[in-house]
Amino acid sequence: MTGDRINIKIKPLGILDLLAFKNLVPGRKKRIQKAPATVIGSLQPVNALACKLHPAVQHLIVGEVREETGDVRTYRLLPHKEKGTEQLAYFRPGQYLSFTFEVEGATVTRPYSISSSPQEALAGYYEITVKRSDGGFISNYIWNNWTVGSEVEAGGPEGQFYYDNLRDRRHIVGIAGGSGITPFRSMAKSILEGDLDISLTLFYGSNRKDEIIFKDDLAALQAASGGRIKVVHVLAEEKVEGFEHGFITAGLLKKYVDLDSCSIFICGPQAMYEHLDSELAKLEMRRKFIRKEVFGEIKNVERLSGYPAEAAGKNFKMLVHMGKRTVEIDAAAGESLLVALERAGLCPPSVCRSGSCGVCRSLLIKGDVFIPADVDGRRQADKKFGYIHPCVTFPLGNLEIVVPRRKVR
Amino acid sequence: MSKGGFSDSYDAVVVGAGNGGLVAAATLAAKGCKTLLLEQHNLPGGFASSFVRGRFEFEPSLHEVSDFGPPHDKGNVRILLEDKIGIDTEWFPVPEAYRLIIPHEKGGRLDATMPFGEEEYLAKMEEYVPGSRESVYKFIRLCEEVVDAFTYLGQSRGNPDKKVLTSKYGNFLKTASYSLQDVLDALKMPYRAQKIITAYWCYLGVGVKDLSFSIFAAMFYRYITKQAFIPRYRSHEFTTALDMKIRELGGDILYNTRVEKILVEDGRVVGVETSHGDRIKTNHVIANTSPHTVYSRLIHPRTAVLEIAWKTCNARKVGFSAFVVYLGLDKSPQELGLNEYSHFIYSTPDTNDIYDAFHRLERPIGQATVCLNNAVPDCSPEGTSIVYLTTLFSGDAWKNVSPAEYFKLKNRIAEEMIDEFEKVVNVNLRDSIEEIEVATPATFARYTGAFNGGIYGYEPVVWDSVLPRMMTMNEEKYIKGLEFAGGFAFRCHGYSSSLQSGETAALLTYKDIMEGK
Repeated sequence: MTGDRINIKIKPLGILDLLAFKNLVPGRKKRIQKAPATVIGSLQPVNALACKLHPAVQHLIVGEVREETGDVRTYRLLPHKEKGTEQLAYFRPGQYLSFTFEVEGATVTRPYSISSSPQEALAGYYEITVKRSDGGFISNYIWNNWTVGSEVEAGGPEGQFYYDNLRDRRHIVGIAGGSGITPFRSMAKSILEGDLDISLTLFYGSNRKDEIIFKDDLAALQAASGGRIKVVHVLAEEKVEGFEHGFITAGLLKKYVDLDSCSIFICGPQAMYEHLDSELAKLEMRRKFIRKEVFGEIKNVERLSGYPAEAAGKNFKMLVHMGKRTVEIDAAAGESLLVALERAGLCPPSVCRSGSCGVCRSLLIKGDVFIPADVDGRRQADKKFGYIHPCVTFPLGNLEIVVPRRKVR
Repeated sequence: MSKGGFSDSYDAVVVGAGNGGLVAAATLAAKGCKTLLLEQHNLPGGFASSFVRGRFEFEPSLHEVSDFGPPHDKGNVRILLEDKIGIDTEWFPVPEAYRLIIPHEKGGRLDATMPFGEEEYLAKMEEYVPGSRESVYKFIRLCEEVVDAFTYLGQSRGNPDKKVLTSKYGNFLKTASYSLQDVLDALKMPYRAQKIITAYWCYLGVGVKDLSFSIFAAMFYRYITKQAFIPRYRSHEFTTALDMKIRELGGDILYNTRVEKILVEDGRVVGVETSHGDRIKTNHVIANTSPHTVYSRLIHPRTAVLEIAWKTCNARKVGFSAFVVYLGLDKSPQELGLNEYSHFIYSTPDTNDIYDAFHRLERPIGQATVCLNNAVPDCSPEGTSIVYLTTLFSGDAWKNVSPAEYFKLKNRIAEEMIDEFEKVVNVNLRDSIEEIEVATPATFARYTGAFNGGIYGYEPVVWDSVLPRMMTMNEEKYIKGLEFAGGFAFRCHGYSSSLQSGETAALLTYKDIMEGK
């Protein structure tokens, strides 16, 4: 005690306050004895809401397969009720699902944007749209294996590529490349269904006219929208009347929209982002008005600035601690640590595969790695203490890492 | 150093890597106990974490740590983390205690910015409420006695000398069974001074007519005399530092590993079983979660939960969950006109009215809003700032919300909070929002599994405050080998309490291990 002594009385007599103190424990015991012995339920309402919004797993079944173009198909997925998924999780247009595949003894994940709308999820289905590509390990697997009746496993809706009324302008300029059109189809449908109170001008880049995905769908959505949806097709390899030709440039955007009154949303392949970065820089827009969907796996990492040339093409060893297992596996310089782990059949956790969600977060104990700066979505303390996101981390030598086991769902 | 493997048996298993669990595991590992920490999420910290959106890294729950103190005048939490456990984390002082705004207070708008430091606080209060000095001075003396008494109780290890208690800590005993409002009335503190001095009530989440005076007194005194602190890289920095320290001390940590069962035989803990099917033998479990969760979901067989354990749960009330709007703004605090760190805004004067309103799904009438850059200037890139607006909700207020209305509902409430802040503080945030995220009770439930999304422990009302919990700690231990850490333990909730609860639980467990109990 440093200050003056005071003498407090709450009741007029101090002795009553001491009596009240003496009664504190007996009073507590009485309250407990009087309480009901009701057994408390194991699932509370808010925990149940969290499970509906973010289910750990959604068991799905392929209900329909549609050809969109020669190498693009849309898969309609229904809840697999026998496996316990009664309802599909609601989502925000623009979000994606992370699918899990068992391929050749390896457990692999892939994120696919939902191309259907939230209302359609309430009605009982999701759609995803998959382009078959050369060397596309999983897209080819889906093409070859998913037919009506196939059982499919996904997580809950993920991602932050959605319109937010407190942040974004109500006129959205969408820039899509190839299969990057999928989240915009979901948004366009939501506009017509009354869930999104925005207008959408969509610049959609395809190589050729016959490669345009959802061409008729988009035309119908535009026609029914009362002017709220407009689609501008841009063909890179063909000159066709009624279509823009070339790449999507700052000049082309300005030709159609007043950029001072819109927010830009971009979804497409890695090459399109590289091109658009320099185009959009010309516009000098505030960052808050430009939003990019993550684009997944980094390709050709050795081309990126800062990559040490001497590591390119090399093969390294990685000592992995995972649960009770310790194994040495191969890690190629050009592939992310996540791919190396999957290849070795280790079943690591992952969702976005783009550096941002952090689900694959692992501890680097030893060795040098390369992490491209613009996809390094790590927390600052993780950088300080040596935690990494294997999905965007590349080996520069032999490594030792601790990887958490995948959550059991 | 532990490299992520684990064994079949341990001296102690800690369930949950929140503040209490991390400190418990570090403390046990430092004592040489073979320790395993199990966490269902892929990160340490529970609510004490961080998340990244664009070029911003947000703090999910912490506003300020109390009882921390500057390096030359360390508080208990700094001593615990830096000296006893020895982690490497950088901490920044919060510049002022708080700015309190009650726009529609009796006698006109109340807008007071209060400093840290007893003398400074008294002087400022006298400026706002002339004639308040004597009662506020007495209040601070009482608070000091409460802190000293708790220190004495801690040192006496549960066997305090009654003579010492009555002679040295008489005021502590006399106020122990009263609410904060009872004590303010007894001191005849002027009304507006009462409003200013009770601003921190929302950190404890009980209206001042029901809130235990002792717990408020201890918190208030430590804030005013030891300042408040915040880690440089959000809470994830000290929780990850604790993770690294536990590994360095040989403790094992498994993430993505949910404990499904705490196995009990003949009234004592014999092991745990995880979501991966691991069966681990141990006679000691520290649960960094609520007794509600442990008894309703984890104890196996369920018949091992005694009737009195259910009664104890049902007699108590699980505290509030939270609703937080996280904003990454593309203007600096100066450009926005934000000069303070912590803003308490109460749209209606009576704290018990606000408490009641937090049980209903309606426009929030109380918020605690932080501009992080005003304590950690480079917490976001130059020319930007991080602001987060927090209000409280009971979990049950959200029980009838359907997923289809959820996203619109949360943005509506977020907008109402932003509107109120802008109007009351006279700033514009809306035009500068580059990133926004909104957490609801369902969000807190999602990431931590907390009972009904609660972020606080049991409500520290008079009969269930620190002192009665402490005095009944042994008799309310219903399963041998099971201790609790975190916001539901006897110290009540808040970062400093839950961190220190981990040490207490570890020391009790260590004593049992040593005595072969």
